[in-house]
Amino acid sequence: MLVAQLALNAVALGAAYALVAIGFVLVLNATTAVNFAHGESVVAGGFIAVALTGVASGIWPSSLPGIIFLPGVLLLTALLGLAIASLAYLPIRNKPPVSVFVTTIAFGIIVTNGLNAGFGAAPRTVPALLGSGTVEIFGITASRQSLAIIATATLLIGMLAILLQRTQLGRKFRASAQDPEMARALGIRLTRITLLGFALGTAFAGAAGLLLAHQFFITPFDGVGLILKAYVAVVIGGWGSLRGATLGAMLIATFEVAVASVSSQSLAEGLLYIAVLLVLLIRPEGIFGETQRLRA
Amino acid sequence: MSPDRTELIQRQSPLLAGGGALVVYAMFIASSYDQRLLTISGIYVIMVLGYQFIFGHAGALSLAQGAFFGVGAYVTGILGSQLGAGFLATFPASIAIAAGLALIVGIPVLRLASHYFALATLALSQLLLLLAINWEPVTGGANGLPGVPPIQIGDLRIDRGVPQLAFVWGLAGVAILIASRQLRPIRVAMFTVMRESPLAVPAFGIDAGLLRLRAFLLSAAFGGAAGALFVHTNRVVSPETLGFGTMVTCLTMTVVGGRFRISGAIIGALLLTHLPEWFRGFDEYYLVMVGVLLLAMVIFVPDGLASFLKDSSWAGQIRTRARPAEPTDVLDAAKPTLNITNVSKRYGGIQALDRVGMSIETGEIVGLIGPNGAGKTTLANIITGIDRADSGSSKSAHIDLAAATPTAIARNGIARTFQTPQLPNELTVRTAIEVAAANNGGHCLTDTVITSCQLINILDAPCGTLPHGVRRRVEIARALAGQPHLLILDEPAAGLAPDEQTVVAEILRAHAAKGLAILVIDHNIDFLQPLATRLACLDSGRLIADGSVADVLADDAVLTAYFGILRQ
Amino acid sequence: MSVNACRFTTAAVITAILLLTDLQSPSVAEPPRIPVLVPITGFLSLEGTSQRNGAALALEGSGIALEVDDTATSPEVAINAFERTITSGRARDDIVAIVAPMLGTQMLALVPLADEFAVPMITISGTARITELGSPNVFRFFPGDAVVKAAHARYAVKELGVTRPAVLFQTTAYGQSGRTELDRNLTGLNAPPVLSEGLDVSVKDMLPILSKVRETRADALLLHLHAGPSALVIRQARAMGLDIPIVAGSAMHQPETAALLEPSELAGVCAESGASPISESDPAMRAFVEHYRDTFDREPDAFALAQYDGVKMLLAAIGSGAHDAAAIRDYLKTNSYNGLAMRYESDGKGNMAHSAVILCYDGNGRVPAIVKRYNNITGAL
Repeated sequence: MLVAQLALNAVALGAAYALVAIGFVLVLNATTAVNFAHGESVVAGGFIAVALTGVASGIWPSSLPGIIFLPGVLLLTALLGLAIASLAYLPIRNKPPVSVFVTTIAFGIIVTNGLNAGFGAAPRTVPALLGSGTVEIFGITASRQSLAIIATATLLIGMLAILLQRTQLGRKFRASAQDPEMARALGIRLTRITLLGFALGTAFAGAAGLLLAHQFFITPFDGVGLILKAYVAVVIGGWGSLRGATLGAMLIATFEVAVASVSSQSLAEGLLYIAVLLVLLIRPEGIFGETQRLRA
Repeated sequence: MSPDRTELIQRQSPLLAGGGALVVYAMFIASSYDQRLLTISGIYVIMVLGYQFIFGHAGALSLAQGAFFGVGAYVTGILGSQLGAGFLATFPASIAIAAGLALIVGIPVLRLASHYFALATLALSQLLLLLAINWEPVTGGANGLPGVPPIQIGDLRIDRGVPQLAFVWGLAGVAILIASRQLRPIRVAMFTVMRESPLAVPAFGIDAGLLRLRAFLLSAAFGGAAGALFVHTNRVVSPETLGFGTMVTCLTMTVVGGRFRISGAIIGALLLTHLPEWFRGFDEYYLVMVGVLLLAMVIFVPDGLASFLKDSSWAGQIRTRARPAEPTDVLDAAKPTLNITNVSKRYGGIQALDRVGMSIETGEIVGLIGPNGAGKTTLANIITGIDRADSGSSKSAHIDLAAATPTAIARNGIARTFQTPQLPNELTVRTAIEVAAANNGGHCLTDTVITSCQLINILDAPCGTLPHGVRRRVEIARALAGQPHLLILDEPAAGLAPDEQTVVAEILRAHAAKGLAILVIDHNIDFLQPLATRLACLDSGRLIADGSVADVLADDAVLTAYFGILRQ
Repeated sequence: MSVNACRFTTAAVITAILLLTDLQSPSVAEPPRIPVLVPITGFLSLEGTSQRNGAALALEGSGIALEVDDTATSPEVAINAFERTITSGRARDDIVAIVAPMLGTQMLALVPLADEFAVPMITISGTARITELGSPNVFRFFPGDAVVKAAHARYAVKELGVTRPAVLFQTTAYGQSGRTELDRNLTGLNAPPVLSEGLDVSVKDMLPILSKVRETRADALLLHLHAGPSALVIRQARAMGLDIPIVAGSAMHQPETAALLEPSELAGVCAESGASPISESDPAMRAFVEHYRDTFDREPDAFALAQYDGVKMLLAAIGSGAHDAAAIRDYLKTNSYNGLAMRYESDGKGNMAHSAVILCYDGNGRVPAIVKRYNNITGAL
């Protein structure tokens, strides 16, 4: 029973990480840019939820479920994504890609320290998505939030898949990711695709922030840990692959939950990185291989 | 004083004046706080100089520079505080252990490309961080180890303030000297080829693996040295030195200052050490201000602040070794220079080459024709070692090509050109030719080559600015510069105007007359017919004809295969 | 720039600086300086801000200006802040003491500097080692790990009858320092931990560790974690029905930590601390709490209170005629002071605080009650 319980928790954590990693890949596919402010976007999503909760509690006396705030968080973090794109990417898109590392790092510094100055360093929490507490399913005690995280992540990833596979916009997005020169020749406006990638990617990060902030709390300084996890997930899965990013996120969560339960948390983290090195020695282009050629 | 040197000093005068003013400031005006910031800056200069090798010149996103810095810090910290070892023991140990770690890790990890390399170096860093935090008896855990002694050499104690400042910047000066010696113009050019024209790396005679390993070892050694000094200035070693934060600081300094220039390391380290300190007045908002300024700097000067400075000596020209051109070996009798027998190669379901045999003798110009996908480029790739044959043998007069690396093959006198010329945009024509000459030849024939390829007027033009036809001649010159005995050209006439084709044909004929064996892959019969001394034809991986130009062009199989393709 | 121009500029700058220093130094009536060097950015800025706020309240009306410099999270920045404070602004001799950061690593880096400049530092860092270095300049106004962990272990073993404790600590400077003392005390009380595991601050899901706690049939959970992880462990333990007593470290007493949990989840949770200002009914303490709330729009914690008491003792020293760093140091060494939280007196090594409290939550609210006070703990068993 414990095994099932651990598996459920690992999937819930992995689903939240997958949202973060997928957001990272969306930006990557739209631009080839590595967005180091992505961890801070997750944190920003959490704190936007904190702020919205604060505003709502002034208007509505009883506490509202977190799902009410999801659209607001998605919208505001999408706007944040547009801000990152216009301030940290578009002005230097024709410059060496390493410059974008530093502009996004700078953006992250601004977000982290702005939140710390504005909200303070104390960990914060937000309302559960659909109510807290636990339910018994097949003898497993599952927290409602874990189930809600899995459901929300599945829903968002499903909607993304439909957008990318079934719509004209999605086809343009994929075409630009595969060959921007050809896409431009076909009349696709790359700036719009870039803005779309940043908006969608950052909104995914924001959703993850809302989900994680209830379950695991959020502080202004959580961004670095999250970007490292997203980066590991994205690379190990195969640079640019959405499927790979999801698998990578699940792998990390498995180490954090399952491997940690039979060793120790510190050992599990060490083993994760050893596993990463072994995977790279055996499959030098990630588990799923590289779907997107580096144009950098 | 030589005119060169005078000119150099003139060019460097703003830098020298700035440096002089800084020295006066540091020694006479600065408070001990200012001196500390300058000391820390000097340490970061060393770390960033190291990082420039791997991140700038080798173009590999290493996320291990913070780890090497931390390893240097811990070696000095542990040996100094626990065993009471002195600077003369701990400092070399810090450098050696950081470089040793890079050597062990580098050999498997440097093969990885781009972000897979970055992830591997990140994993290494995180493992070391975990070790530093959790191996409490040795590292002191998260608290770290206090009681690291100040720098002491014999009876001479280097105290904080001016002595430490002078000592650190003295070592930074040594680091700058080492870096500028390592970054001889020719090596800078080799790094440029590696970053910008990866396909042509072997053709330039560059051993990319060795070059990358050198860059990684240098970055680690510099990082370890900087970490060791850092611990002496803080007197305590703790896990932050190993952390991602140190790596981010290093990356930021390198990008803000500039990835390639020594002045970039100095500017980046000085500026980013001081930046947060200048804004302290903004209380808890001061790092927000730092972020805003950092963002602005990279947006407005994305190539690094050092790009404002004029080119300095280390970015200048390759010193041509004034060795006299040795006479070419004009061979008395034709003898085989390449011998291929029964070479086969499959890609998935396609038989790219099927038991191909061919031999080329000195002075011959062999034209290799065949429809698209016949296996012509595959054959060139197998001869030059880029691809391995599944079976069969290919030998040159000097080495067994099937067993040698592409670089070794190029260095042993088999040169090639590519369908699309592979020349780094930044390099000048002269530099490109000289790099190939230096790596492949040994004999300095560049002047003859330059004259024969008619490049005399464009020697100082960057390759990126040249029209296609000229780039092709430059690439042929690059191939000839190594004084090869066999030259393989992949579609040299493609995209050239008729008069340009004539020039190319004349160059080839002239060198064949001196004994060079030439294999020309082309579709263009009008180009090949007057040029070639022999023709060979490939079709679906099989050699269907090999003989005199007239015989092959009259061959039925060739006519079907070859002119069949033309009709399409 | 020509050499002459360079010389001229240098001369001009030097002259200007000499003039400026000359204008500044002569007045004798300048009040002394007590710079506050604490982390106001980075992951310890919650505690650092408490330190700053406590010092700020204490300095109100003293005529001494509040000077704050950030130490962030590394020894490097702490030393930068120290050097900046010492060499910039008004004359160095005016600095009679420094409020120093709570991060043990930073303290270890600052001690050699404080000794060199002969400036006493008052801090609330718990790290045992900072008062073991033989420096005459370290004064700790919060009970060190040797004190609070003794109270922590004693309460668990003697009051709760725990025999099989499980210890979870953070793999940070704070966590590792406390863990050593906690394990030592538990072993001394014949209740050695059945499990003692370190958690990184980034660990999210606590189920793996809590299931191990359950497997070992531990009869209490002793935490030495930061605020967020403390709350996470408590919530997840309660959610999985692990209803053994939980005695947490001092991070639990911070009102921000309790705010993360529902009152029902806090039932059966106790914590050690130096004090718990919001739990006290003493009028002087109530006045402090209210003034703090009004000024900073936050609830005070024990760190703010300890820093407040520490600075107040400095002011008492100045009031008694100690006007330079040496006199202040002597005063701190030889006098005692009755602060709001406790009586402070040096043990000869600079440990000023020797009392700890245990507070418990009753499951109905987020304000804990003080259930046990341990006074005059020496650290020895």
